[in-house]
Amino acid sequence: MTALGAVVAAGLALGVVAYRVQVDELGRYTSPENAMAIVAVAWAFLLAGLVAWRRRPGNRLGPLMTLAAFALLLRQLRYSHDPWTFTSFFVLSEVSYALVAHSVLAYPGGRVTDRLERAFLAVGYTATLAFPLAILLVYDGSRQLRFFDPVARESAIVLVADGDFAIALQKAFVVLVWGVLASIFIGLLVRRLVRATPLGRRLLAPLLLAAVAVALRAVFEGVFTFVERPSIVLYTYLFWWQIVGFIALPLTLLLGLLRARLARAGVGDLVLELENAPPRRVREALARALHDPTLEVAFWLSAEGRFVDADGGPVTLPEDGARRAVTRLDHDGVPVAALLHDPALAQEPRLVEAAGAAARLALENARLHAETRAQLATVKESRARIVAAADDERRRIERDLHDGAQQRLVALALQLRSAQRELHPDGDVERLLDESVRELQAAVEELRELARGVHPAILTEEGLASALESLAHRTPLEVDLDVAEERLPPPVEATAYFVVCEALANVVKHAHATKASVRARRLNGLLRIEVADDGVGGAHAEPGSGLSGLSDRVEALGGRLIVVSGTGAGTRVVGEIPCAS
Amino acid sequence: MDRTVLVVDDHAAFRAAARRLLELDGLRVVGEAADGATAIELVPALAPDIVLLDVGLPDVSGFDVADRLAGGTAAVVFISSRAPGDLGRRMRSSGALGFIPKDELTGEGVLRLWNASA
Repeated sequence: MTALGAVVAAGLALGVVAYRVQVDELGRYTSPENAMAIVAVAWAFLLAGLVAWRRRPGNRLGPLMTLAAFALLLRQLRYSHDPWTFTSFFVLSEVSYALVAHSVLAYPGGRVTDRLERAFLAVGYTATLAFPLAILLVYDGSRQLRFFDPVARESAIVLVADGDFAIALQKAFVVLVWGVLASIFIGLLVRRLVRATPLGRRLLAPLLLAAVAVALRAVFEGVFTFVERPSIVLYTYLFWWQIVGFIALPLTLLLGLLRARLARAGVGDLVLELENAPPRRVREALARALHDPTLEVAFWLSAEGRFVDADGGPVTLPEDGARRAVTRLDHDGVPVAALLHDPALAQEPRLVEAAGAAARLALENARLHAETRAQLATVKESRARIVAAADDERRRIERDLHDGAQQRLVALALQLRSAQRELHPDGDVERLLDESVRELQAAVEELRELARGVHPAILTEEGLASALESLAHRTPLEVDLDVAEERLPPPVEATAYFVVCEALANVVKHAHATKASVRARRLNGLLRIEVADDGVGGAHAEPGSGLSGLSDRVEALGGRLIVVSGTGAGTRVVGEIPCAS
Repeated sequence: MDRTVLVVDDHAAFRAAARRLLELDGLRVVGEAADGATAIELVPALAPDIVLLDVGLPDVSGFDVADRLAGGTAAVVFISSRAPGDLGRRMRSSGALGFIPKDELTGEGVLRLWNASA
């Protein structure tokens, strides 16, 4: 506290000194308003610097702006008529502008991380120190340094007196620093605005506008080097433009700080808003409170050690970077959620944490919700996977039966028939062989039936319509078929086929029907299968029955199976299976 | 003159058994192919009267082989260890002489189909 008081006192005292030096030493070349305006600029930097320093002790922006404030005040001491005072402060005078540029580029994080911006500052610091020093080494006061001072003074460290060279150095300095470097500075700021995220742009825009105003004025100054004498009106106009821009600079920074304060008040409303909010609203409320519409919430599933969204879908946390930043929210050391937000918010870590703390209960609630949904999704997926795996296995068994045992039996039947050909007719052996061949043919037919029941090859090869046609053909009953010609995902085709297969088998076995109908149509992402008969009815899917097993299978694909069967009114088995086109 | 036959099937045991039986029944087996590509190569070279063609070949479908042979001099007779009803529509739409289940194959059966078409 006392240190702060000392800095404030020093700043105020130095302001008075700077004012007096300018007014006393420049006399008719200046005015009290001009002198006061320059002190006001420095004090604005001092105020903003000290506030920033107190609010963000870890942020170097506060010290940087305070330093700039003192540099701007000390700069005025170069008007002293004393050669050594003039020499000392003339050397340091232009560094104050480098410090101002540094402050702007360090906003809001306090560090300049961009390589181009760092290089720019390095050049800026070097040029603002080297040129005045070089000028002092040759400046003997015989000529007037128009752009630095309306009065000619004496350098205390002249090595080789050369007035013309001093003027040339002054021109080079004005063109390079005020002209070229200020233009590059504007370019860097525009580049920053273009690259910023929407939220970052909102935070940066006012500050950068003020900085651009100041830098533009410097660029004009560079251009005027080549004009013999700019009009006094234009000069006065430019001076006040610079002053307004300069005062606005630190004030816009203060505004940025105040914005965060206002936002923190918004966090208070969060608690009330979220009290009865459904899980889905938590994200919206947080996005509103933090003014970041791009904000996303990821919930931590402790059992699985991963983050998911509100619907239980997997979320990969991005690396902190230029486009996205992550704030993890813990409770008692256990992760609850992570907020994925605009990196501009990372400048306000306490604000984000406060919002997270306010929303903690709602987040925990939403986390449980997401966890349940994720588990449900896992169960659904595994159920569908089990069905698909069983289908694959059945296809494999059918192929094995077909390519293995069946082929051997077929070859054996042909060999027996060949043996038969070699024998004399009407012998016992021939009759025996004849029976063997018939027996083998029966075995082949049984194997064929078995393989077909496991998985009909025609379903894989030609699809549902063809397979149902073949099934209807084998059914000892009149079957009216109406099946759309299209290929569907294999699990859907297999499930639909087995539903019809089981339903038709039941019709044949129990219904005493004269005919049956089979319909399969896809509509609005659902495959609807219907098997109806005109039999005695009274059927239902008892647990453990073939139909109930199929019902599980249909449900595993997210569908449902209904059996409608009144006594004497026939039976209708209806299956609906989700099936995207 | 004996009718000439090319046997196309991926099971060697079946090819051997079929060759023996067909030759006992008075047909002349001029060649064997284990897949569709070999069959398509051999047909112009051997110019058989009849191609005994398995529906389920390892490389291409027997129906595709039949489509490639259509318009040539060789007549196609499909064979399969599956039942005709399990083979679907391409069987009916193919230009083949007919179909014989593998376990019911005899020279007489093949000749009956040949004569019916002649």
